[in-house]
Amino acid sequence: MATDSSDALTSGGGADAVVSEDDGLAARVLLWADDRLRWLLTLPAVLILFALTFYPLLRAIEMSMHNYVPSGREFVGASNFVNLASNEAFLNSLTVTGKFIGLAVGIEFLLGFGIALLLNKKIKLRGLWQTLILVPMILSPTVVGLIWRLMYAPNGLLDYIFAPLAGGNVGWISEPNVALYSVILTDVWQWTPLVVLVMFAGLQSVPDHLREAAIMDGASRRQRFVDITLPYLKSLIVLILIIRLVDALRVFAKVYILTRGGPGSATNVVSMEMYRTAFRFSNFGEAAAMALSLLVIVILLAMTFVKTAGVEF
Amino acid sequence: MATEDSPAPYSEPSTVERWNDRVTELGLGKVLVYGGIGTFLVWTLFPVYWLVTATLKTRDTLLSFPPHWLPYEMEVGNFAQLFAQRPEFTQFIVNSITVTILTTIIATFVGACAAYGFVTFDYPYNLDFHLPFYILSTRFMPPIATIIPLFVIFRDFGLVNTLEGLVLVYVMFNIPFAVWMMKGFFEEVPNSLVESAMLDGHTHMGAFVKIVLPLVKPGLLASAIFTVIITWNELLFAIILAQNSKAMTVPVGLASFITKFSVQWVNMSVAATIALAPVLVFAFIARDQLVQGFSMGAVEK
Repeated sequence: MATDSSDALTSGGGADAVVSEDDGLAARVLLWADDRLRWLLTLPAVLILFALTFYPLLRAIEMSMHNYVPSGREFVGASNFVNLASNEAFLNSLTVTGKFIGLAVGIEFLLGFGIALLLNKKIKLRGLWQTLILVPMILSPTVVGLIWRLMYAPNGLLDYIFAPLAGGNVGWISEPNVALYSVILTDVWQWTPLVVLVMFAGLQSVPDHLREAAIMDGASRRQRFVDITLPYLKSLIVLILIIRLVDALRVFAKVYILTRGGPGSATNVVSMEMYRTAFRFSNFGEAAAMALSLLVIVILLAMTFVKTAGVEF
Repeated sequence: MATEDSPAPYSEPSTVERWNDRVTELGLGKVLVYGGIGTFLVWTLFPVYWLVTATLKTRDTLLSFPPHWLPYEMEVGNFAQLFAQRPEFTQFIVNSITVTILTTIIATFVGACAAYGFVTFDYPYNLDFHLPFYILSTRFMPPIATIIPLFVIFRDFGLVNTLEGLVLVYVMFNIPFAVWMMKGFFEEVPNSLVESAMLDGHTHMGAFVKIVLPLVKPGLLASAIFTVIITWNELLFAIILAQNSKAMTVPVGLASFITKFSVQWVNMSVAATIALAPVLVFAFIARDQLVQGFSMGAVEK
């Protein structure tokens, strides 16, 4: 709202003149509420988020210092964190997640930006294109997983197409060397459209006068792209990369549906490993330590990323 | 290209660029553009087509070699068969609808109230800046990091395997988006409207409910639709907090068609199609806001 709001408005009170002391109870309740309106409006949201994110984090710290055994739990100090450094399953899951994020987000960005550049030409029925490619990203990752489970099925559609090339069934999600790439492909399928739509909106917002000035200076198409479009879109690019990075880091449903982390540990991403540690092996202390480490990694990653890109929000 | 040391802004076009221009002149550019977008569109939509048409096939034709591109058997009975073989699926749908409706109403309302507060009032200690930032930053936390302690907390409070527990978690999950989305809409509402309503004898709360909220209906609708989609689709929280069929939601039910040993292909396709249908309808109502939502505001309207 406008910044030049009056004192009465910003301090919450203001109806005093209208409702007087001898009005009924309801009016007095309303008046009471109005005086505290700014807190009444915002506290529910703040409290819910505090209770369900901040408090659990404190509990995670406390949990991470215990070992959970069938009879209860015992205090072990920082040893859960120390053990993580030599926990091969956890370290492997970090590597798998790193590969997944790097490849998935990289391909999504390059492919998405490319398609956005094509959409940015003068084309017919652009609104329809934009609507239709929206479909994958609104689907539940569970449904996406099932769709691709069907495509990857032995003797399924993709085997029919690729078996002649590969000399037999590919084993899309059963072959340890292939499974991770199949999961990545599924993520690329779902999220490239988001990059397309975001980058397209960015391209549309490049001011015409910049482009025209560059044309006057004799800049070629490539030069215009490198010297004008890219710098103009820099913060948008960083933003979409961060969003995809954070989302790719939390990938769970697709992996759960497609491979459950297997074969072996080929697709065991970090959220899958934490899920198994906590809910298959009831190892809550270790899982909490993993959760906190992951959180630190996310924060550090995001900070480095923003710093290197030099973007201010 | 020799642009590095030339003081002139731009040098002659390179060979590649001259070729580029030739391609454009010949009209081949159009072919490339439409070809590229067309291929992408097929790649994007075909898998969905494949799932939906699988609901009309039999177990044998669903995974046949060579594949059946069109579902010529039209086994409409597959839908009835799902509910006959897995009667609990009805319960999952009811659960999902209940959880989604409650979450959407609460999250949108709580989020809108908070957004209005932050936009309108001054808070001590610069809280009107810090609190929204805190709220938004929770959106970037990996959910798996909170769900592990939350599960233990919920177990203590008896909230595991209840719809209330799921609603609570989903409200938390969706508030950041609702706050962020509604802030933009409230910023557009001129202050003078509220002021004159208060001069007319409305309380501030009255003015908020009767005058401001109706003005931001498009925003409320957009954040409600976004919440519906996120909640209806969510698997991770549901699979951990709803472990018996009393509280299971559709995504958890979907996951159950895949066991270690086999996949119930036909039932799975039918159930997945039922799960995706409502989302498609909602998505097309609020297309632009959805892109805004998924990109956390990277795209401004």
